[in-house]
Amino acid sequence: MSSTSQKHKDFVAEPMGEKPVMALAGIGEVLGKRLAEKGFDKAYVVLGQFLVLKKDEELFRDWIKDTCGANVKQQGDCYGCLKEWCDAFL
Amino acid sequence: MPMFVEDPANFSKSRLKSDLVAHNVKLPPAKSKKEVYVELHMQHIDQKKTVEFSSDEEVEEDEEDDMEGEDGENPGDAEMPDPSALTDDDLKAALLKHGVKAGPIVASTRFLYEKKLRKLLQSDGHHGQLNGAKNGMMYSDSEEEEEEENGEDNDAESSAEEENKETVEESDQADEESSQVKLCTQNGGFTYPQCFLPQMRRVQAGSQSVAANVYSSSSSSSSSSSQTFSITEMLKEMEGRRSLSTSANSERAFNGGNVQHHWSQSNRLDMPSVVNRTMKNQSLYYTPKAFPQEREMQEPVKDDFKHLFPAEITPSGIYATRRRPIKGAAGRPIQYMYPDTPVSPMTLQRRDVERRLVPVHIQILVFVTVTCLLYLIYVCVEDNTFSPIVSLLDNLNPGSNSGEALLHKTEAQDTPALSEWE
Repeated sequence: MSSTSQKHKDFVAEPMGEKPVMALAGIGEVLGKRLAEKGFDKAYVVLGQFLVLKKDEELFRDWIKDTCGANVKQQGDCYGCLKEWCDAFL
Repeated sequence: MPMFVEDPANFSKSRLKSDLVAHNVKLPPAKSKKEVYVELHMQHIDQKKTVEFSSDEEVEEDEEDDMEGEDGENPGDAEMPDPSALTDDDLKAALLKHGVKAGPIVASTRFLYEKKLRKLLQSDGHHGQLNGAKNGMMYSDSEEEEEEENGEDNDAESSAEEENKETVEESDQADEESSQVKLCTQNGGFTYPQCFLPQMRRVQAGSQSVAANVYSSSSSSSSSSSQTFSITEMLKEMEGRRSLSTSANSERAFNGGNVQHHWSQSNRLDMPSVVNRTMKNQSLYYTPKAFPQEREMQEPVKDDFKHLFPAEITPSGIYATRRRPIKGAAGRPIQYMYPDTPVSPMTLQRRDVERRLVPVHIQILVFVTVTCLLYLIYVCVEDNTFSPIVSLLDNLNPGSNSGEALLHKTEAQDTPALSEWE
């Protein structure tokens, strides 16, 4: 099992509320800016996309790669973060 | 069921946009309604597709000819049309056909599902090419599927050029998107050189720390040097460290002297002063050896640095310096080589002697007291009567008669006792 980052733990610990998209694990400044330009300025919007894709890992990874150019590790971190958040709060 | 539903109203807005762009149609303003897109779509694109419709009627009659032409088709169009040409429902159905249960096909998800369908079609197309002859037999047997697929194939044949154009354009779009992704990755790649900076800092700090592992000021100097990256400044720092090194050596000598003082104090207890003198002489011998050794170590090392720095300048600024030999292995000053050997046997002997001395005194005292007690007991036991003790007591009393009588008695008794002794 890969270890989770502090960012992941912080995000999954509480409801996301109005957190910005950069609060997601794997999404830093550069990627967050690109997502915001496409309209995904808040974490819950990305969550919406994640849910519309029925929490499918492959589709979500493709989507986030196409949208902001995330690499494999970042895709995995973001997916894992959202999945765990959903398991906890949804 | 008809595969080509030429009703652009069923398309999503993004789909219409992409189609218009594919056909080099000027897009209306961004916030225009879908109807505008649909109209444009119908105007420009449907003209081309009417040709396809006409071909449908003709081709249904000819089946076998179309089947033969399958093998020459694009693998992606062997069974299904281009995913982009499908409606949302059709796309979903096509995905379901391949065993993929798709979620809602919305504007944001459409592209992903199309991509997925393309992947599935390519994989099927590869299989389809291998089994081309068998598929021909299959088509002749089945009825409805045969006609539909023949219709598709015919459309593919007659409008092969157009579809090729479309696929080319769509592939161009895909290339644009992929190029955008490539740009993103390139931009990400451009960030990598920035990552070298902290590594360079580490390299600098590492080289300098190796050089100055003995000195306490290495941390401050390395931090200051990481900010500036010039050779001259680093050389200046090296020179500065030389001065520090001499002071450090003097400090070390003082520390050694303090340790020696402790040794001398412990020696005074038992060992003769000669030992002290020999110890001090040895230490004195050690210290002068230490200094020249250290200086010898420093000079060649520093020369190496000077040789290294100007020689190995790379364009990227990253360089590797030869590591300074570890001082603990061979260059350790002799002063610290034998810290214990002249001392340890002396201290051990002293400690043993001390252990023996104290209890010996106690043993002697105890022995003396025990002998005295025994002697008193013997004296008491030897004299059968208590007369000597009583006479001793009566001497203290001024009583005369009893005393005289006792004295006579004692004298009478003493004489036989004395005779017995003799």
